[in-house]
Amino acid sequence: MITPTAYREALSRIDAPGKFAAARQSALEKFLQAGLPDSHLEDWRYISLEHLERMPLHAPADPPLALPALEDYPGAVLAYLDDRLVWRDTTLPATMLGTLADAIGGAAATSTPVAFGSLAGNASLTQLNAALWREGACLRVPAGERLRQPVFLRFAAAEADAMLYPRVFVHMAVGSDAILVEHFVGDPDIEYWQNPVTEIVLEAGARLTHLRIIEDSKLATHTGLTAVHQASDSSYRALNLTLGGQVARHELNLVLGESGAEARLDGVFIAAGRSRTEQHLRITHQAPRGNSRTLYRGLADARGRGVFDGRVEVRPHADASDAQQSSRNLLLSPHAEIDAKPQLEIYADDVRCSHAATVGSLDEDALFYLSSRGIDADTARRLLLEAFIDEALGLLDDTGLRDWLMPRLRASLPRGQAMEPLS
Amino acid sequence: MLQIRNLHVAIGGKPILNGIDLTIHPGEVHAIMGPNGSGKSTLAQVLAGRDGYDISAGSVHYLDKDLLPLTPEQRARAGIFLAFQYPLEIPGVANVQLLRTALNGQRRARGEAEMDAIDFLEYVKDKLVLLGMDDSFLYRSVNEGFSGGEKKRNEILQMAVLEPRLAILDETDSGLDIDALQVVAHGVNSLRGPERAIVLVTHYQRLLNYIVPDQVHVLAGGRIVRSGGRELAEELDSKGYAWLDDKAEFIEASP
Amino acid sequence: MTNVELQQRIDSEYRWGFVTDIEQEPFPKGLDETVIQRISATKGEPAFMLDWRLRAYRHWLTRREPGWATVHHPPIDYQSIYYYAAPKSGGGSNRPKSLAEVDPQLLATYEKLGIPLREREALAGVAVDAVFDSVSVATTFKAKLETLGIVFCSFSEAVREHPDLVRQYLGSVVPYTDNFFASLNSAVFSDGSFVYVPKGVKCPMELSTYFRINASNSGQFERTLIIADEGASVSYLEGCTAPRRDENQLHAAVVELIALKDARIKYSTVQNWYPGDAEGRGGIYNFVTKRGECRGDNAHITWTQVETGSAITWKYPSCILRGDNSVGEFYSVALTNHHQQADTGTKMIHIGRDTHSTIVAKGISAGHASNAYRGLVKVLAGADNARNHTRCDSLLMSPDCAAHTFPYIEVKNPSAQVEHEASTSKIGEDQLFYLRSRGLGEEDAVNLIVNGFCKEVFKELPMEFAVEARKLLAVSLEGAVG
Repeated sequence: MITPTAYREALSRIDAPGKFAAARQSALEKFLQAGLPDSHLEDWRYISLEHLERMPLHAPADPPLALPALEDYPGAVLAYLDDRLVWRDTTLPATMLGTLADAIGGAAATSTPVAFGSLAGNASLTQLNAALWREGACLRVPAGERLRQPVFLRFAAAEADAMLYPRVFVHMAVGSDAILVEHFVGDPDIEYWQNPVTEIVLEAGARLTHLRIIEDSKLATHTGLTAVHQASDSSYRALNLTLGGQVARHELNLVLGESGAEARLDGVFIAAGRSRTEQHLRITHQAPRGNSRTLYRGLADARGRGVFDGRVEVRPHADASDAQQSSRNLLLSPHAEIDAKPQLEIYADDVRCSHAATVGSLDEDALFYLSSRGIDADTARRLLLEAFIDEALGLLDDTGLRDWLMPRLRASLPRGQAMEPLS
Repeated sequence: MLQIRNLHVAIGGKPILNGIDLTIHPGEVHAIMGPNGSGKSTLAQVLAGRDGYDISAGSVHYLDKDLLPLTPEQRARAGIFLAFQYPLEIPGVANVQLLRTALNGQRRARGEAEMDAIDFLEYVKDKLVLLGMDDSFLYRSVNEGFSGGEKKRNEILQMAVLEPRLAILDETDSGLDIDALQVVAHGVNSLRGPERAIVLVTHYQRLLNYIVPDQVHVLAGGRIVRSGGRELAEELDSKGYAWLDDKAEFIEASP
Repeated sequence: MTNVELQQRIDSEYRWGFVTDIEQEPFPKGLDETVIQRISATKGEPAFMLDWRLRAYRHWLTRREPGWATVHHPPIDYQSIYYYAAPKSGGGSNRPKSLAEVDPQLLATYEKLGIPLREREALAGVAVDAVFDSVSVATTFKAKLETLGIVFCSFSEAVREHPDLVRQYLGSVVPYTDNFFASLNSAVFSDGSFVYVPKGVKCPMELSTYFRINASNSGQFERTLIIADEGASVSYLEGCTAPRRDENQLHAAVVELIALKDARIKYSTVQNWYPGDAEGRGGIYNFVTKRGECRGDNAHITWTQVETGSAITWKYPSCILRGDNSVGEFYSVALTNHHQQADTGTKMIHIGRDTHSTIVAKGISAGHASNAYRGLVKVLAGADNARNHTRCDSLLMSPDCAAHTFPYIEVKNPSAQVEHEASTSKIGEDQLFYLRSRGLGEEDAVNLIVNGFCKEVFKELPMEFAVEARKLLAVSLEGAVG
């Protein structure tokens, strides 16, 4: 049983308007009753959060202790530090891009987004986020509008043992189009816990390209949820990169709620050191003619453990559904582990569903071939690793973010024993 | 043998065939030509009994009986054969298994004795030679991993084995190189006979250089807009189908 | 084809649904230590067996039914089951010494099921152990096998005649603590088959057990133990049927296979327990634990199963690949129709080096049935160069059925290669039309496609069984396409 003091204390420090205070209180009680998820739950059989109970977790100081060195983002930016908005760089009006607190409760509130809170579900960690989120972010793209620049949301951690609850709500109106990048980072030497929740509503014909990058500290715990609901003929394309964190788990709940919706879910995860990462996908085809494509590439090095747990469910009458899933993984060390659990749950007959999962190692023949052409072993290894993950990186070209992202990705690739960084 | 009268067919409310009239006698070879989307393949599929077409008017009589109420297998057992434009792959089912099951099903329906495995092999060997195929074809899964040309030859092999009275060849020439085309044509020609009628559905007249038809029909806008002898095919070849567009539009517009 | 045409088709009767009217000798309903003591005493077991049974029972009391499978059924009342039912003429020490003493009614029953037990009429090359409700009633070709040193007898007999072998191997692959149903079986199992093939001996004939549930309200808890000593090989077949009854009956068997160095065991099952009627009334609950261990190097275990019966099937024939170079294979066809539920698959545990496993699972789901593949491929850190290939396909035949695939892949060795592929699709309308346009009736067309779909599995079955399996599939599918 978890000690409730830290959580109650955190809630007491949130200055929420009255109409939300009760909801927050009730969410917290639900979390305290359920506790942290443990391995008795099928969805948590591979990742344990036991260590959180031993940490002196607390709400971050207010205002933040330090200001971060900001990096350049090629687009509009909201930057958060320890759950506080510290930097805003955008020409978009506040009604389109601003804090969630303003959007739903503040003086500038226009109207509460209808679906807020309705997609995230009621798992205990989600309840905790619902109780303790602070300012949050809200992106609302009006009908027919196409954002020219990507929108970056940066969630940074700077205080040791802080509990952080980023909360994002995205509403894509009919026929709108945008690129969203969520970037989770933290001070490299500290332990903390990010427990973000992002809800995304796509109305008919809307298109969203969503990059989500976990680049938290090597000591951090990240337990994130993205919940997406798609209306007819909408398109959701996502690239989920997990490069950091001691324990990093991302859960993606996607519902193709109306006919003709299309989703493409790509991902790369790298479990190095002693880290544990889990990609947890739940794709529900609820309506006819839905199409989902999942393509994940995973690497586990050193004592790392990578988990791919992807489930596709086709509900009754979701005819002409097409779902394809591919999870390929490499083990790069004798102490690493990969677990894959690709699942199909089909309740309609007119479907085409398939999945494939592989676990193996780098192709020795290919390594030898490259060495025989004069390429040193470490370089050859990196070339092959880059080629291996590249299949999942198609969205980088579509969004024009390859140049921005590749250096980070390269820096995270497992190195050989005496690896020189690639120029 | 086959009388089609004023046949109207639609798919999902969209009209495809708008009043086809066609009569075919035993021993004749007819070519049905037309541009893409003119309804050629629909006509072939309707004759074979495929589900999903709404037959809103007209009649089809085969051997003086109403064809339309019959299931696909009843039609096949009555001697109608459709060579598919895109032959299906059936994993795990050996070609020989399909051929023998199909032949014996038809023989049973005709009240003839079934052929045992040994007699059947003798019987099918000659047909293989006819189409320049070796024995290994028999033991591969139906069309699985076959090249385009092999699939088409396999269709003609089935036709040779089943010896239909009315064979409808849907774009059997498409995707074949000249050598394969000659093999297929040779197979078809050797199956010509006074009791058997053959309908060639094709976009190009190339095939007709090798299988000479008695009559050629041009299908456009879901109707037969011209019929004639072999020379009509040559005319189409030199002029293309463009001239038809005007005519089809004209027909569509007429009351 | 139209739905109307389909509905017009009449579902076939379950042909094995008759009841044999024979005098029974059941114990009172329910389970406690007295019942277990009585079972053990009736069988004249040595003390170590009773002791083991009681430990299993006490462990079972602490366990709960597993809840993770995608199957649903009303709670089972374990106190309303007869745990021991035997034909009066055949049970315990009354067991006939030779076929000549077997109750003619039992012989007639097996004949009616297509399993003649008189040796001169029996299939040449197949030795049969016939298990009727709780006991083995006859074993054929025993004498012939004995000349080679092969032991093929009922489990009860093995306990009496070969207690050392039983003591050494019983529970060594499936311990009584393994799972709820295995614990229950360990406490109350009544009979089953026992096979021991000595060093270097290749068993010259197929060994076969035919299980028959006859009594009502009874559970069947048989236990099979097969040991192939170094360099030995054996092929074993298992068949099963039960009468039609409106009640659900529990069948909780345990099968243990032990393959020592260079040994090979091939275990084939055609499971045709009564599946219940078209509305889902009655049928067998088939909750079975089957596991084999390749205990020595180069050992090889193959499971082949064709599952068409039972209201609910819950079974995962598995391989522990302990010996270096050992091989595990699992080939499965599971067909569910009407309201049947199947949750079946396998576990391949790679422990030794250079161990290989192959999984081919074909699920066919029709009517309102549900069909799940659940499998685990686990490669431990020491299993250098382990290889697994899994192919898992589902064929859907009606809009109301369900098909699920739940594979678990856990790999801790970087030199391992594990590949899993799965697909789910509807039976092809285009394929059906193609075959029908060649003159095949729709039922023949469906059967041909389904047989093609299952071919990889059928080719693993011994010849007579493959023919039987094809027929069974055709019968089970009558009226199924929609």
